[in-house]
Amino acid sequence: MIKADSLNKQYGNIVAVDDVSFEVQKGETFGLLGPNGAGKTTAIKLLCGLLKPDAGTVTLDGKTNPGLIEVRLSLGVVPQTLAIYEELSAEENLRFFGRMYGLSGQKLKERVRDCLEIAGLSERSKERVSKYSGGMKRRLNMVCSLLHEPPILLLDEPTVGVDPQSRNLIFDTIEDIKKQGRTIIYTTHYMEEAQRLCKRVAILDHGRILDMDTVENLITKHGGPSHIEAEFEERPPDPGKIKPLIGDENIQFEGSRVRFQTDRPMESLAKLNSSGLRFRSLKIQTANLEDVFLNLTGRRLRD
Amino acid sequence: MRMVLFIAIKDLRVLLSDKGNIFFVFGFPVMFALFFGAIFSGAGEGPSGMKIAVVDADKSEFSGNFISELESDEALKIITTSRDDAIEQVRKGKVAAAVIINEGFGGGFDALFNSEEPKLEIASDPSRRMESGYLQGFLAKAQFTTLSGKFTDRQWMKDQLGLWKNDMGSDNDLDPEQKELFFNFFDSFDTLLKDVNEENYMADFGGDILNFAQLDVNREQEGPTTSFQITFPQAMLWAILGCTATFAISIVKERANGTFARLRIGPIGRAHILGGKGLACFMTCAFIMCVLFTGAKTIFKMPVSNLSLFIPAALCTVLCFVGIMMFICTIGRTEQSAGGAGWAILMIMAMVGGGMVPLAFMPGWLRPFSNISPVKWGIFTLEGAIWRNFSLTEMISPCLVLLAIGVLFFLLGVFILTRQED
Repeated sequence: MIKADSLNKQYGNIVAVDDVSFEVQKGETFGLLGPNGAGKTTAIKLLCGLLKPDAGTVTLDGKTNPGLIEVRLSLGVVPQTLAIYEELSAEENLRFFGRMYGLSGQKLKERVRDCLEIAGLSERSKERVSKYSGGMKRRLNMVCSLLHEPPILLLDEPTVGVDPQSRNLIFDTIEDIKKQGRTIIYTTHYMEEAQRLCKRVAILDHGRILDMDTVENLITKHGGPSHIEAEFEERPPDPGKIKPLIGDENIQFEGSRVRFQTDRPMESLAKLNSSGLRFRSLKIQTANLEDVFLNLTGRRLRD
Repeated sequence: MRMVLFIAIKDLRVLLSDKGNIFFVFGFPVMFALFFGAIFSGAGEGPSGMKIAVVDADKSEFSGNFISELESDEALKIITTSRDDAIEQVRKGKVAAAVIINEGFGGGFDALFNSEEPKLEIASDPSRRMESGYLQGFLAKAQFTTLSGKFTDRQWMKDQLGLWKNDMGSDNDLDPEQKELFFNFFDSFDTLLKDVNEENYMADFGGDILNFAQLDVNREQEGPTTSFQITFPQAMLWAILGCTATFAISIVKERANGTFARLRIGPIGRAHILGGKGLACFMTCAFIMCVLFTGAKTIFKMPVSNLSLFIPAALCTVLCFVGIMMFICTIGRTEQSAGGAGWAILMIMAMVGGGMVPLAFMPGWLRPFSNISPVKWGIFTLEGAIWRNFSLTEMISPCLVLLAIGVLFFLLGVFILTRQED
């Protein structure tokens, strides 16, 4: 459905996108995860034809020219910036963009009404957008791209700077779109979002893809072990017997408390339990994409 | 074409939602035209006419009729007031002169022709003798016109003759022979008043005493006849400059906000987007031109020498500045930078091109430089249709200059914009 092949884009001496290649299947939600300045927005601009690549090709639904009208009609892009007219109302914005995508009459009316509902703006649809909160603007910014029901959706950090309520609404909307079988590329620097929404994720840094796989595989490959902190009802009589059960030489004992790392947390805990130790409390911190990024780059996502 | 129209309508909505934009596009040009039009025409003083203060100390029917007669003359502006106030107004230069109607003014022939004790006084500044003399003519005319009304009253005439006869009879200094001649005249006149029929009497005394025909001959005009013919073309250019800046800034704003990118991602070409912007700018400029022109014509009675040439002149001017708008939107990445640089360019164009000071008042050495300013060509074509009496052939050259400037800037703007966007 979407194919990026060896994409390159340079601004002067700065390499924004460096030999980026990936393929997204129909109905898949693919994430581009990386810190600010990693090249995510540039990649989206290359995909939708806003920028011409210095090298490489983009194929959307089998077509290599994103400028074609049929390709543009199949594409919905949610830009990172609030690309809406603040001087107009939400309804006027939607009507305008709807007309731009060829909607008219009853169909336009219905789509505008549906999108206002999705964005939770039905009651304030006639108000000027400049009076909306940041979250409301973000929601409108997103639904403006859903009006024409595109089969491909490119979302460029759609939750930047929004309140938790709006964020959840945006997530719910994306979940719904996923269920409809549409193809989505989602960029973010929040690992929780990528982990929640995307089936596969590409880790992007300095314009390059460091690795790309399913979330589970990335964590398995680069996330490192899970961190476990357990407190037993009684102090273990012989800590030396616990080490072989866990398989971690760096296990730490502190009274009735024990801390260790393992690649198989559930298995280790089951072994401890079967050895007769009773847990009073348990804290498991599994590896996540943040750890993946840290292990791949030596930096945190928000550094 | 529909998409271009949608974009244009959207841009007009955005424009109208901002009060600042409305002021610069609509309010400021109108204020400019009115303010400078008023300054250059000396407007505000109302219709021209010699302003004089009149003091009616006589309070008679005759004096009342006399004042009414003065008031009916368009060449005079009459204020009735007290003697002290009238003199004070003359002193302060608020009125050209004061006319004081003394007691006894309505006392008939004796009062009118009594040179020893005049019943009418004129108070005026000695340095304004010409106006004073001019005024005496008006007073004489009004006096005789009022008097002619009295002549039609046979009884009043008989009473006046009786008074004269009595005065003359009691005058011992008058030669008896001369006295006899006057008495004979008075008797004959008395018989005439008694016997002449109404038709013949009114034919002799009922008409105007000073009756003359007014023949209006207008001097051949080579320049504008009113100051509004100068200020309204300037105001139209200011309106266009306001539109140009506003729409250029709106494009920059769209580029900065990302809405321009959203339009570009849509299933429309760059030509649609730029066409829509250009059309919105064109429609706004054309509308404000119509408003200003209609206002100038109907409210300020601005004469237009050739209405059919005004339309192409206005169209070419607007098209020229639509092109310039497209260029200006490429000179800044932010609203502030584009607004600052854009207005700076437009202000220089206006200053050099006669948008601020009319070209006629510019020093000679500066005038050749005005040829590089599109504002000059815009004003020139509009004036060509309004008061320069251009023929169609004369209008073609400045119109072509405007179109050439417009096309050049438009292409340059599109070229730079395309490079910047890609």
